[in-house]
Amino acid sequence: MLDSFSDIYWTYQNIIHGIAVNGILGLSVYVVLSIGQLALGQAAFMGIGAYFGAIATTKLGLPFPIALLVSVLTPAAVAFAIGAPTLRLTGVYLAISMLGLGEISRLLFLNWEYAGGALGLSGIPERGGVFLLYFVLIVLILAFFFVGRSRIGRAMEAMREDETAAGVMGVNVPRYKLAALVVSAMLAGLAGCLSAHVSSFIGPNEYGFEMATTILSFALLGGIGTPLGPVVGAAILTLLPEVLRFLADYRLMINGAIIVIAVLFMPRGLLSWRMKRTV
Amino acid sequence: MRIALVGVFAAALIGVAAAQTSKEPIKLGAIEVLTGPNNRYGIPAQRAFDLAVEEINKAGGVLGGRPLALAYEDSAGNKDQAMNAARKLIGRDKVTMILGPTLSNEMFAVGPVVNDRKIPIIGTSTTATGITAIGPWVFRTAMPESDVIPVTLKTARDRLGIKKVVVMYANDDAFTKSAYDVMKDSLAKLGVETLTTETFSGKDTDFTAQLTKAKNLNPDAIVVSGHVDAASGIILQGRQLGIPKNVRFIGGNGFNSPKLAEIAGEAADGTLVGSPWFVAKKDEVNQKFVKAYKEKYGDDPDQFAAQAYDTMYIVAKAINAAGGTDPEKLREALQGTKSYGVMGPFSFTEGRDPADASGVVVLEMNGGKFRIFGETS
Amino acid sequence: MLQQQLVNGFVLGATYALFALGFTMMFGVLGVINLTYGVYFALGAFAALWAAKAIGLSVWLALPFGAIFAGCIAIVIDTLLLTRLRRAKAPELSSLMVTIGATLFLYTGLSVVYGTEIRRFPLDFAPSAAFEIVGVRVVATQALIVVAALLMAAGLIWIVRGTKIGLAVRAVAENPDAAALMGVNGGLVTHLVSFMSGALGGAAGVLIGLNFNAIQPFMGENMMLRGFAVIIIGGLGDLRGALIAGFLLGIIEVLTAGYFASAAKDLIAFALLVLTLWVRPVGLFGRAAAKRA
Repeated sequence: MLDSFSDIYWTYQNIIHGIAVNGILGLSVYVVLSIGQLALGQAAFMGIGAYFGAIATTKLGLPFPIALLVSVLTPAAVAFAIGAPTLRLTGVYLAISMLGLGEISRLLFLNWEYAGGALGLSGIPERGGVFLLYFVLIVLILAFFFVGRSRIGRAMEAMREDETAAGVMGVNVPRYKLAALVVSAMLAGLAGCLSAHVSSFIGPNEYGFEMATTILSFALLGGIGTPLGPVVGAAILTLLPEVLRFLADYRLMINGAIIVIAVLFMPRGLLSWRMKRTV
Repeated sequence: MRIALVGVFAAALIGVAAAQTSKEPIKLGAIEVLTGPNNRYGIPAQRAFDLAVEEINKAGGVLGGRPLALAYEDSAGNKDQAMNAARKLIGRDKVTMILGPTLSNEMFAVGPVVNDRKIPIIGTSTTATGITAIGPWVFRTAMPESDVIPVTLKTARDRLGIKKVVVMYANDDAFTKSAYDVMKDSLAKLGVETLTTETFSGKDTDFTAQLTKAKNLNPDAIVVSGHVDAASGIILQGRQLGIPKNVRFIGGNGFNSPKLAEIAGEAADGTLVGSPWFVAKKDEVNQKFVKAYKEKYGDDPDQFAAQAYDTMYIVAKAINAAGGTDPEKLREALQGTKSYGVMGPFSFTEGRDPADASGVVVLEMNGGKFRIFGETS
Repeated sequence: MLQQQLVNGFVLGATYALFALGFTMMFGVLGVINLTYGVYFALGAFAALWAAKAIGLSVWLALPFGAIFAGCIAIVIDTLLLTRLRRAKAPELSSLMVTIGATLFLYTGLSVVYGTEIRRFPLDFAPSAAFEIVGVRVVATQALIVVAALLMAAGLIWIVRGTKIGLAVRAVAENPDAAALMGVNGGLVTHLVSFMSGALGGAAGVLIGLNFNAIQPFMGENMMLRGFAVIIIGGLGDLRGALIAGFLLGIIEVLTAGYFASAAKDLIAFALLVLTLWVRPVGLFGRAAAKRA
C-alpha cells in the first residue's frame, strides 16, 4: 500500500523540525564565530530559552507569542550581565569560560524544583510547528545576508581578520562583541523555545557540554564563510544519525569517523567560499 | 456459468489471501538504548525480548500460527533519536505496538506522540512518576519505586529497629530523584528521622565528603538512591572510612544488580534492597527463564531483562485476547490482561501500572549474592 | 571530622592533579584543545585491566604498561589527525573539531568492545591495607595516588626545567617557528609531548580507576570538565599550577560538600573556574601569552 503523504511527513516530522531548530542554532553560533569569538554558550542560552518559554506556557498559562518573547529576552539579559567580564577574554579562555557558565546554568536548572529539577518539564503543549520554524529560519538567513553585505558585516569581517587593526580603523570592538553575544543568545533562546514546544519534554541535562559541542560542530562542518554554512552543517549532522541507523552498534563510531574525515579533508568546512560584498 | 467461474476465482483469491495473512507476522517495535553509556539498561531488555519472541514463535506464535516480528530502533539515550525511532516504527514500519523506550526521560517525549497516534506503548523499565499519566495508550509493566521502597523501608524499620537514617541520592537523574521522593515520603510516614540529606551526581566517583559527614552523625542506616556505579562506590568508600558493619546500606532499585557485589566486594554484605524480582527466586517459571537466558547469552539476567521477558508474554496474551491487531481492541485487551510471569502474578491497574505488588521481596547481600532478607540458608 | 575531610579533599585533589598534569602539558605545549585526552585516560585503565586479567600483572607493572600503551595511541592519533592540520596551518577550530570526532569514534569503539558496565581491578592488584592515624582513615591506594601525583609532577618539572629535551619542549611551546630555526626538531618534540601527556593520562586512568573501582569507557569524559577547571585555575601549561590547583580544588570541593551543601560540590568547581577567568585569566601561575601576529 502506498503511504499517504501525511504518513510520510508524520514519520519524518521530528527530523524536519530538528533541521530547522538546529539551523537556527547554527546561525546563533555563526554570529560569534564570524567575528572570531569562541563564545560557546549557545547550549546554555538555548536551555534558558527553552525553560523560560516552557514555564511561560506550562506553568503560567501564557500564550505562545509571549513565551517566544520571554525565551528571546531572558537569554539576552543573561548575555548582557555576563558580557562585560567575559568578553575581555579571548580564544580558548573565552571558550572555556562559556563552557563553565554553561555547566553552572545546567546545575542551577537541575536543582530548581519549580522547573522540575532532575525530572524536567513534561507536558509542554505543541505550538508553532513546521511552517513557523522554517519561516523564522529563512527570515533569519535573509537578515544575515543583508547585514553581512552592509557596513556592519564589513566591520565584523575586519574584526575576525585582525581585531587590533579593526579597532584602530574605528570599529567599536567591545560593543560589537557584546552585541554579537546578545544576538547569539537571543537566537539560541528562540531555538530552545521552538524546540521545546514540538517535543513536549525538556530536561536540564539536554543543554550541557554535549549539546555545546554539537552546536559547534554545525559551524565547523559547514564552514563559517557564510551564514548558510552552519545551516547546512546543522542539516547534515541532524540527518546523519538517522541516515546511519542501519549501522546499529557502529552508528556513533561511523558518525565520529565521518566528522574526522570531513575535517581532515575540508578544514575550512564545506561551504568555504566567502560572501560577495559590494566594494 | 460465468458467474460461477468468477465466484470460484474470487474464492480462490480470498483463500490465497487468507492463507497469506494467516502466516503473516505481527509487527512489533521496540525502542531501546543499544549504544552509548546507558546501553547496559537497553541490551538486557533486547536480549530478553529476543528470548521471549523465540520461545513464543517456537510454540506456535499468536492468533493461531502468526509469528511475532520485533523491530528494534536504537535511541542511544537521546531524546530526539527516541522520537525519530517512534515515528519511524509507526509511520514507516507500521508496527502494532511499541515496547520501551528504556529511559523515563525518553518516554516523556515519546509517550505523548505515540499516545496521540492511538498506538499502545508499554514501558518496561521506566519507573519515574507520571509516565502512565501521559495518556490512555501508555502502559507500564515496570513496577514503580512507590510500590517497592515503602516495603523495603518498613521491613528495615520493623526487623532492625531503625530509628534514624542518613539519606543520599543522585540528584541529576529523573529515576534516582523520583525514587528519592518516594524514600522521603516513606521515611516520614514510618516515623524514621532523617539526620541529613546529601546529594551527589550519578557520574561522581568520590563520595568521601558526604560519607564522612554521615558517619559523624551516627545513623542506624544509610538510605541511598542511585544507580549501581555510584552505589558500589558509596558502599566501598563508606566501609573504607570506617562506617561499621551494623550500619547497613539500604537501596532503591538501582542496587539490584550483580555488579554491586562485583565492585564493592565484601563491603556490600548486609546491604538491603527491595525488588519485585531477584534471580534466585525459586518458582519454576523464573528458574526456567534464568536457565534459558544464561544458556543463550552466558550471563545471568537482571531485572531489566526479567521485566522485558514478562512484558513480551503479556503482549502475546493481549494479542490473542484481542483476536487481531485492531488498536482499540488491543488496548482493551492489554488493560484486562492477567498473567503469571517471572515477576509473579501480573495485572494492570486502571491507571495502567502494575497492580500486583505481592511479588516484592526484600533482599540482603551476602557473600556476593542476594538472598531473601531473613533467610539464613 | 575536620581532619578526615581534609584528608578526603587531599586525596580527591591528588586525582584531579594527576589528571591535569598531562592535560595541561598537552594544552600548553601543543596549543590545541585536545578532547581526546579523556580517551587516553580510559585506554590506560583498560589496558592495565587487560594486563591484570590476562597476564596477572599487579599494579606496579600494569601501571607503566597502561601508561605506555596510552602514550603510543596518543602519538598515533596526533600523527594521523593533528599533524596534517598543523602543517596546513588550519584554524584552531578544525583541530578541536577533529578531536570531537575522534573522541566520539574512540569512546564508542571502546564501549562496543567492552560494554558500558563498570569494572574494577582484581582484588590482588594493589595493596589493600587500611590504616588509621590520629582518627583519620586512609587506604593504601589513596596514599599511592597522592605519592604518585607528587612524584610525577616532580619528575615532569625536573625534565622540563633541567634537561635539554625540556628546553626543546619549552622552546616549541613558546614559538614553534623560532625553535625550528634554532635547530629544534619540532616534529620529534611534538611526538614526545604527545607521548608524555598520553602516558600521564593513561597512568592517571589506572590510578584513579583503581582508587574508585570504577572503570568504564566514558570515565575520561566525566573528568574532562573538572580537568578544564584545574588547568585554568592553575595556569595553562604550568605543571606546578596543575598540581597545586588540583589539590586546592579537591580540598575546596570536599569542604563545601561536608560543611555547606553537597549539592554545591559540582557548582563550586565551575564557579571557581569562571571567577578565575573573570579576575585573573592566566590562573595562579600562568604567564600572559603574547598575542600572535
